[in-house]
Amino acid sequence: MDEFGMGSHNTHSCFGPTKVMPRGGGGGGGEAEGGEIRSAGGSSGGSAVAVATEQCWAALGTDTGGSVRLPAAYTGVVGFKPSYGLLSRWGVIAYANSLDTVGILGSDVERVEGVFDTLDTYDPQDPTSLPPSTRSRLASRTKTSSSLKIGIPLDYSISSLDPAVRTTWLHSLAALQARGHTLHPVRLPTTQHALSAYYVIAPAEASSNLAKYDGVRYGSRAAGVDGTPESVLFAKTRDHGLGPEVQRRILLGAFSLSAQAIDNYFIQAQKVRRLVQQDFDRVFAAPNRLVVGEQEPADEGVDVLLCPTAPVIAPLLEEVENQDPIHAYMNDVFTVPASLAGLPAISVPASIQGDDAGAAGRSAGMQIIAQYGDDRLVLDVAKQLVEAT
Amino acid sequence: MLVSTCRTALAVLSRRPYICQSCLQRARQLPLTSAVRPKPTSARALQSDTKPPPPNDDTPFRKLLKDAAKKKRKEDRASSGSPKVSHCDRDARLSKWELTVGIEIHAELNTARKLFSQAATSVNEEPNSHVALFDVAFPGSQPHFQGETLIPALRAALALNCDIQYKSSFDRKHYFYQDQPAGYQITQYYEPFARDGSITLYPHDFPAGASPANGPVTIGIKQVQMEQDTAKTVHQPPSTHLLDFNRVSHPLIEIITLPQIHHPTTAAVCVRKIQSLLKAVNSVTAGMEMGGLRADVNVSVRERSGQSTEQSQSYHGVTGLGQRTEIKNLASVKAVEDAIIAERDRQIELLENGGVVEGETRGWTLGSKTTRRLRGKEGEIDYRYMPDPDIAPVIVGRDLVDHLRDTLPILSDDRVSTLVDDKDYKLTSKDASTLLSLDDGERLDYYYDVVKHLQTAFADQPAILARTGKAAGNWVLMELGSLLKTEDWSETRVPSDQLASIIAHVLRKQITGRTAKLLLSTKFKGDARAVEQIIADEDMLLRPLSRQEYLDLAQSLLEEKADMVKVIVEKQQHKKVKWFVGQMMARSAEGTVEPGPAEAVLRELLHLPPADEQ
Repeated sequence: MDEFGMGSHNTHSCFGPTKVMPRGGGGGGGEAEGGEIRSAGGSSGGSAVAVATEQCWAALGTDTGGSVRLPAAYTGVVGFKPSYGLLSRWGVIAYANSLDTVGILGSDVERVEGVFDTLDTYDPQDPTSLPPSTRSRLASRTKTSSSLKIGIPLDYSISSLDPAVRTTWLHSLAALQARGHTLHPVRLPTTQHALSAYYVIAPAEASSNLAKYDGVRYGSRAAGVDGTPESVLFAKTRDHGLGPEVQRRILLGAFSLSAQAIDNYFIQAQKVRRLVQQDFDRVFAAPNRLVVGEQEPADEGVDVLLCPTAPVIAPLLEEVENQDPIHAYMNDVFTVPASLAGLPAISVPASIQGDDAGAAGRSAGMQIIAQYGDDRLVLDVAKQLVEAT
Repeated sequence: MLVSTCRTALAVLSRRPYICQSCLQRARQLPLTSAVRPKPTSARALQSDTKPPPPNDDTPFRKLLKDAAKKKRKEDRASSGSPKVSHCDRDARLSKWELTVGIEIHAELNTARKLFSQAATSVNEEPNSHVALFDVAFPGSQPHFQGETLIPALRAALALNCDIQYKSSFDRKHYFYQDQPAGYQITQYYEPFARDGSITLYPHDFPAGASPANGPVTIGIKQVQMEQDTAKTVHQPPSTHLLDFNRVSHPLIEIITLPQIHHPTTAAVCVRKIQSLLKAVNSVTAGMEMGGLRADVNVSVRERSGQSTEQSQSYHGVTGLGQRTEIKNLASVKAVEDAIIAERDRQIELLENGGVVEGETRGWTLGSKTTRRLRGKEGEIDYRYMPDPDIAPVIVGRDLVDHLRDTLPILSDDRVSTLVDDKDYKLTSKDASTLLSLDDGERLDYYYDVVKHLQTAFADQPAILARTGKAAGNWVLMELGSLLKTEDWSETRVPSDQLASIIAHVLRKQITGRTAKLLLSTKFKGDARAVEQIIADEDMLLRPLSRQEYLDLAQSLLEEKADMVKVIVEKQQHKKVKWFVGQMMARSAEGTVEPGPAEAVLRELLHLPPADEQ
């Protein structure tokens, strides 16, 4: 796991990076066999690898900006992020309270659904846990899945999209169409700004949530004297105890909340977040039950969206280990919008089609997103996609 | 990232009182912590290079006051020959410079539980025995807003005439300090729950003669907000500081006034009045002396001539102000006044010598002559206020506000104005406020009873009726008060109807004032007889002398003291008539001779003009 959930390749850990070893090379051995070690994705890469290597039946992770869906895509397992507020966060070490969601990883959708059924309950210990009254309002809307409208978000067709991923995307869409569903292109114009907004909001909340780690009441502290008249009492402890990526995000977050910058960064990012959510509401047929106002279903409007989980397939670990952090952040471009809007989203592995020799036998993650509260629909469509491909 | 093994333990613990040693024990044995196994010390310690903070909450208050008084006496003796600023100079400076003060008061609310956890609030319990996981910022813990804490806060805001906001929200104010476990304080920066109130200071609120204005002074209240308190730090010399987290997240209200105060005494009286107001509505029980109420003041000066310089500051609509400094943590009303005076003088001195006042944070200790600098502009903290994403906005219904407003106890200002203005009472405002402050209101209730009895007795005599309120006030406050001295009040010592009877007799001129006092003291000492009975037994009724009796008595006296008569008549020393009056009174039964008629008779006999013509 990336330290404090901050990272896209599970490399920021004092225990070392999580590695995805090539298959069929005698089981491990790495570089010596001439195979390629790949990134597990992050930040819940450890959980994904544990599931992928069948060390466990299912695993939990936390998805703040894609940290469950991305490693699921890179390791070829199913990763599900439910609607924000359904699964209790009591006990989860907070990274960004308004984005953190407990997610489930499993080798197939049925296992993931089983775990979800058990955990999907109101917890009074978590102040952001969805109250029973709202849960029953959401449950009252069930959609029959005989012929759904599948949305194709054209804004996700970016130039840096790997051709293998693009081909797999098209193949998945065709497969669903063959099952009787209809395809509709849709526009989500704020997608291009969502990633920047996420990387302002999440570090800002992180700089606040991580202020408590000072070694005074729990945890370890740096040896010797800490604190000088010029600095705060626990500066040395924090410097030693928090890794470089964590420090980077805390500083970024503190800057975006500072008096000079808050209007241009934090406040603007929150406004973009609202626009991202409104984009989704405009595109979906089902209304957003959390928004006061229109509760009538729209005539136009799709039931779910289908898009890739990541713009690339799992990269080589050595490429990403020394990568510029901004490039690492780019991995989250497709997962972040659903996080900002709190929507249910799942990544299922789809075999890579086409004659790209390097990608043969491997899978890319396909992401299904639905309106807030339509978790069952997401799981249902996921099952259909897995069956169809 | 789930601390799953502790989950059930945490769930169970959250229903019990918050003593977490058992959970800590269990946590130490878990594999999660075995990698870095701490030594089993009972106290966690941190080494630091920093100087210890100035000792401001450990030496006993009494000792501080004594030391301060001693220091002052020494200095007065030393400087008695050459006062630095003579009174004339000081008055000249004050007529040139106008002081402006704004006050921020933090008061601990009277609630059962803390603001964001179910741990109980406490005052002086065993350290770290009322601490929930969230209070100590345990990872994975979340805030739970305790709605009942809002009730005393709402009462306080209503007593300060504020508008209660329908929607308010909580924000995080970030700064690092060892008494702030989460690294931020949860407060209401962007949307406080109450705004735009006011407090009025009447002349009777000021100490005698110290009221700067002639009429009441109204000071605006910008807002009232709820926030968390911090941990208590106990300094153990030479270099150990112990942290007690019982106080963390105790609900506080912060009351921010507008900078509309222009005199140090006004500021001190304002703080005192806010404190008594909060106690009157039962929002706050611990006062300043217990550390339950703290004041910070913002002080600036400007020239009265009204030239607005380019650098003039403004605050929430009040414009043209000078640069202000903040004085933090004033722990008594006297400290408020002294600190403001010292800071005002410092700023005036600085500006008159061509300097510039910097926006600093300063501190004050009892017995100092000037404030001292704690933090300059470069050390100013950017609090990075961020709305707390875990806490839902607070919605306060109109029905709750209306109910609280209707059930608010009658505030002292309203009572005083009733006692002063109402024809039934007609007390002076000084007497009224004294009456209110005695014996937790029991003296006032007793007074009302006495007045009621008197009003029944004199229902058909409007002339006397008009005097009953004032007479009762005098007897309840002065006469009864002087008998009580240091004893505790008890309304049964002299039951209200008995006192009413005494007063009625005086008002009807059936007994003299002196007799009445005697009666009161007799009853006070425990005589069980009714007042009428005592009067009858002791034959206290005033039998006014008839004119003939006056004449006879006067005549006999004049004959006896013929030489005195000669002095008066021949030497025109008319004032010596009074001596005869005194003699007449001395020779008669007590109270039977009234000085007025006696003198009149004597003058008549001596052929002197009546007293008022001389």
